[in-house]
Amino acid sequence: MDGAAIVEFLAASIRIATPLLFGALGGLLSERAGTFAVGIEGMMLAGAFGGAVTMLLTADTGTGLAVSAGSGAAAGLVVAVATAKFRADHMVTGLALNILVVGLTSFLLRGLFGGQAPVIQLPTLKALPIPYLADLPGIGRVLFHQPALTYAALALTLAIWVLLAKTRTGLMLRAVGENPEAAFTAGSNPVRVRMAAIVAGGALAGLGGAVLSLQEVGTFTDGMTNGRGFIALAAIIVGRWMPFPTLLGCLLFGGVAALELRVQGWDLPVSSYIIQMTPYLAALAVLAGIGRGARLPAAIGTAFTRN
Amino acid sequence: MSEDRSPRVNEVDASDGGAMATATRHALEALAAADWLRAVVLASAAVALALGLTAVLIAISGKDPVVAYAALVRGAIGSLDRIAFALNKSTPYILGGVGVALCFRARVINIGAEGQIAVGGIAATWVALNIAASLGVIVIPAAIVAAALGGAGWAAFAAAIRLTRGVHEVLCTLLLNFVGLLLVSEALHGSMGEPGAGFPQSPLFMRAAWLPNLVTGTDLHIGILIAVLAVVACHLLLWRTTFGFRLRVLGASPAAAAYAGVSFPRCAFAVMALAGGLAGIAGGIEVLGVHYRLIEGFSLGFGFNAVAVALLASINPIAVLPAGLFLGFLEAGALAMQREVGVPSSLVFVIQGLMMVFVLCAIGIGIRQQRV
Repeated sequence: MDGAAIVEFLAASIRIATPLLFGALGGLLSERAGTFAVGIEGMMLAGAFGGAVTMLLTADTGTGLAVSAGSGAAAGLVVAVATAKFRADHMVTGLALNILVVGLTSFLLRGLFGGQAPVIQLPTLKALPIPYLADLPGIGRVLFHQPALTYAALALTLAIWVLLAKTRTGLMLRAVGENPEAAFTAGSNPVRVRMAAIVAGGALAGLGGAVLSLQEVGTFTDGMTNGRGFIALAAIIVGRWMPFPTLLGCLLFGGVAALELRVQGWDLPVSSYIIQMTPYLAALAVLAGIGRGARLPAAIGTAFTRN
Repeated sequence: MSEDRSPRVNEVDASDGGAMATATRHALEALAAADWLRAVVLASAAVALALGLTAVLIAISGKDPVVAYAALVRGAIGSLDRIAFALNKSTPYILGGVGVALCFRARVINIGAEGQIAVGGIAATWVALNIAASLGVIVIPAAIVAAALGGAGWAAFAAAIRLTRGVHEVLCTLLLNFVGLLLVSEALHGSMGEPGAGFPQSPLFMRAAWLPNLVTGTDLHIGILIAVLAVVACHLLLWRTTFGFRLRVLGASPAAAAYAGVSFPRCAFAVMALAGGLAGIAGGIEVLGVHYRLIEGFSLGFGFNAVAVALLASINPIAVLPAGLFLGFLEAGALAMQREVGVPSSLVFVIQGLMMVFVLCAIGIGIRQQRV
């Protein structure tokens, strides 16, 4: 790869990492408050669907993004009620949500448009070069020549870090994830905090879905998230449940995916199907490499009851 | 799901553990006997609620729910052919579901049935395409054994990563599902593909490798018999063997299991390999009995169906049979409903997802105690 190709590769890595980052930050909120975020995949898919259908009907980007966040939050609410209120198993509830959303989006896509899935072709959100900075050699092209939602994802990482590390709300959220009994004694309501964290996380994951449907491809197809929610989960583990390391985890997996796309053009003696396995195998290898000892929130996966 | 499931307590004195185990077993079995009615009521309620909510969805999409559900019932049980079709559909769900149920018993959240089914299908295809002629009459048993080994191996791989590297089994199995599906594509675009076919598929198997039919004149193959046998075997395994008891103790109380000297890693590895083997057989049956060839994406969605079946059965192996049949008939009916009334068959996933959430909530608040 020459210089220009490397710049293109890095820029693509960041772009591909964007939906992962939204999903991972959403999952981070949920997990730091003590709920496993296996449902991220479904929340992203809900957001991708809500955004694409709204854009098809209104052609207004703002509304599209709002609806995608709302769809993700609604999906999150299902998990929130089931796990926090009804103390359902976190992992399997997340999976159930994923199936539910796959079915619901596929059904509505046809049902709302008279039985046939409509052809959705939306203009994708274009790159938004930042004046002056975008002209910097190399780095300008990599960092400052990205679509709007990519900047938003990077800003969001900072915001989540501030929220978790520097605010009272963040402290309460972390306390609920580490020791809900103590947080309850200190006057917070762990059930409500967990529900809020899951729903907020769902909204972020929904935006991640919108990145896919509105910024990357400009359409919606059944099950289009294709495991990205699970890769985002892996990124959270790689990032040790901290925002900026999670960003690095997403960039790592974004880089693998960007490389995958390029390798397919190199005419290697390996088939494209083997190459398509790399994101999943890379996630598995990285997780296995990290091994045990990852710093899980202490009370994750447990139910909170008042007595 | 806590990280400290693997017991670190030293093995206790065997006679002591044995006495405790016997006492616990009697207490638990008394509890279990009174419990099945609740499980039936719970499953029916979850199904009814899910069907009710989806009726609203059908109405929103501008169709009459009554007409749609009538078409669904006709499509499921309206004729001998439809029943045969539905029974064939149920077979992989039952086989996959019973394995998942055993895993869930021991709190091992194996959701890799999809990948295991895929690899099982590849293994059976390899036998049917390459060595069928030299095997003669044992080609079908050989292909099914290969499928079981393929599925078990795939699950064992995930289990090994889980147990040696501490990566949660949900992520291991999920990620390997994607890899397993791609392996099928790779095989079909490589050595197993049919040259010149418009669709990624293998050549048709030779006649000797087709699963025999159970009822002449229909498509019903003997897979459903294998599934029923597997359910009975798993039921006996869970309730009548030491290994089954270990699984139940692990699920009921990891601490008690550690005290009784039950090794989580060993049990988890064994139960995942067993579930993988069953899923692999499901994959083998699918290619040998339904398609008579390997086709791309043949296992799509089966893994999640297996989880749904296991939950609907309250992770009770014997109850996997009605639960799996229900899902198979539901899907067969939904496909007919889509054709006749134009209601998309993806509704099945909605019903399944809702059903699972309801069952999970009910278990969560203790309407149905998780019995051991």
